[in-house]
Amino acid sequence: MATTLKEREVVVVGGGLSAGLIARRLVPLGRDVLVVERGAPRSGSESQLPSQRDELRWGIHRGLVQRENVETYTLRHNPDEAALPMRRLLSFLPGFGVGGGASHWNGQTWRFQTTDYVLRSHLEQRYGKAAVPSGMTVQDWGIRYEDLEPHYTLFEKLFGISGKAGNIKGEKQEGGNQFEPWRSEEFPLPPLEPSEAGIIFKSAAEKLGYKPFPMPAANASRAYSNPDGMKLGGCQYCGHCERFVCEANAKASPNLLLFPLVVGNPNFELRTHAEVFLINYDKAGRRVTGVTYIDTQTGEEFTQPATTVVLGSYVLSNTRLLLLSSIGEPYDPKTGKGAVGKNYCYQTVSNVSVFFEDRYINPFMGTGAYGMVIDEFNNDHFDHSALGFFGGAFINATITNGRPITARALPPGTPRWGSAWKAANAKWYLRSFNISCHGTSYSHRNNYMDLDPDYRDAYGRPLLRITFDFPENDIKMSDYVTQKAHEIAKASGASIVGTPAPRRGPYDARIYQSTHNTGGTIMGTDRATSVVSPHLQSWDAQNLFITGASVFPQNSGYNPTGPVGALGLRLADDLVSYLERPRFL
Amino acid sequence: MATMVALGLAVPGTQAQDANKGKAVYEACIVCHKLEPKSTEQGPTLIGIVGRRSGALDDFRYSRAIVRANIVWDEATLDAYLADPQAYIVGMRMPFGGIPDKIERRDLIAYLKTLR
Repeated sequence: MATTLKEREVVVVGGGLSAGLIARRLVPLGRDVLVVERGAPRSGSESQLPSQRDELRWGIHRGLVQRENVETYTLRHNPDEAALPMRRLLSFLPGFGVGGGASHWNGQTWRFQTTDYVLRSHLEQRYGKAAVPSGMTVQDWGIRYEDLEPHYTLFEKLFGISGKAGNIKGEKQEGGNQFEPWRSEEFPLPPLEPSEAGIIFKSAAEKLGYKPFPMPAANASRAYSNPDGMKLGGCQYCGHCERFVCEANAKASPNLLLFPLVVGNPNFELRTHAEVFLINYDKAGRRVTGVTYIDTQTGEEFTQPATTVVLGSYVLSNTRLLLLSSIGEPYDPKTGKGAVGKNYCYQTVSNVSVFFEDRYINPFMGTGAYGMVIDEFNNDHFDHSALGFFGGAFINATITNGRPITARALPPGTPRWGSAWKAANAKWYLRSFNISCHGTSYSHRNNYMDLDPDYRDAYGRPLLRITFDFPENDIKMSDYVTQKAHEIAKASGASIVGTPAPRRGPYDARIYQSTHNTGGTIMGTDRATSVVSPHLQSWDAQNLFITGASVFPQNSGYNPTGPVGALGLRLADDLVSYLERPRFL
Repeated sequence: MATMVALGLAVPGTQAQDANKGKAVYEACIVCHKLEPKSTEQGPTLIGIVGRRSGALDDFRYSRAIVRANIVWDEATLDAYLADPQAYIVGMRMPFGGIPDKIERRDLIAYLKTLR
């Protein structure tokens, strides 16, 4: 039924950050690259004023993300429950359209900690083998921070990250993050202007002896030209980053910095409205032969042969495509065998709100990574010996936005409706902010993904089923770090400190928490417990590479885009070598 | 050669230097106002901006405020506009906070004059 097209050299599934980084590297070398993207190009109303700032359309109705009437996910909290479909995708925002999640992201850009890549070895070495709970399935990545450092540096330059270094080649830098892994260079741009909330947070944190620093931001603190000659404007602090395309071309994204570099080359094609539903797999030959996709505008099916396939779509799509294509062994929580779908992780976020009678926070002046942060209680930056949990969170005051529909910070005890509610809204809108914890999510034996036996998408394919709840470890962690955030809140001089709200189960998919889903196609050195090698090459098909946050064996306390960028750049280099001489890297 | 000599005489050295510095200031504009004859979705082309009427191009969808302002872009109007765009033309939608420094504005306008 499907029409077979002419073979292409490299086919990348998903037109987001990874595809952009790979195309940027391969196309100028003359390699033939086809990027297949299920959504539309980004142009028109989403990037032009005044429609760009339509909070109802892009924010509430989530105009730039995956449509749940075509494809959603089912959720259950443990392997014994029956899963139900998420009728609205509210707790996370899978990208849809060119640029993917990196066109509607906030821009918080971190490097994962040195211990993140060797987490199991590190915890066992520091706390003893017996200290790691048996249900905690954390693994090593099979690479070290040193392998990624040059790629982090390049990614930060390409994306014009604004920030202040805290550790340049082992030398501590005043004003930067004292806990960050060493970096070879300062950030390419200075930090964003300090915010009122940031100033309040900074002074409270310093009072308690912490070392606050500005959050690394992909919201350019001033106009910038990257090493490829691609440009960013300066951030205008309009507060429309996450869920939106930047109106001022100031938020780093593949649409702005990566694809325009290669579009127009005869050996590059970006094919939109093309939804891949199968990676064609020759199991006996242990190779993939291409992809099959549907043209979502005409309903026609096409088979696109390829010599090499790169799976660079969203975390959940990467996992689902492998399962739909029967590549690799699906994970089974009962036996612990199989690796596809294993180690699904999320982000454990919590917050405490603060209200000031006498300070104007003015949240309408915000930007995605407009934060002041402390890192004392993140990852393994503090001794966990007697604490009964592992992991942590960065604690921050970040003014991402003060958009009219959703900005509703109200002190405890405010009526839920009526004139008192309205008066409280009017009073506190300008005078409050959140102190939040952005915490680790460590893998657990029972948290995983597989194909749903009952529910299907609009094309009749099984939906991806997520089995997840916050493990006891992460709940204890959240209690601990939220307590620390509460102490900062109390030291801030706030007139009212809100009730601390540490993360508790069950996972509630109706409330936005974070789009940082990870795992499912994890990387590692052992083919029995991972899906891809340390070079992101599938153990089951030599010419299939998989990249993105789906390869993280567990999630760090930092946002994932930094390592996704670094892994993408490292894979791009690996592909150059692989295409010259195809082999197991 | 004759043209170059004539230009050299017509343009005093300082103005040429201003325009050079203005090119650096223009880095803040270039991501939306590319140096191409066609406008982009984010910004109208600024080639030929000096002497043009506000909201005059057919290939860019301007705000009503810019069209209604009905001014001619010259040194004075550009200077006032660039100092605080949203105050000078209320309701216009260029997402740019302006250039507070008078010297930088002067250099930028000198550069804009060279965009032909």
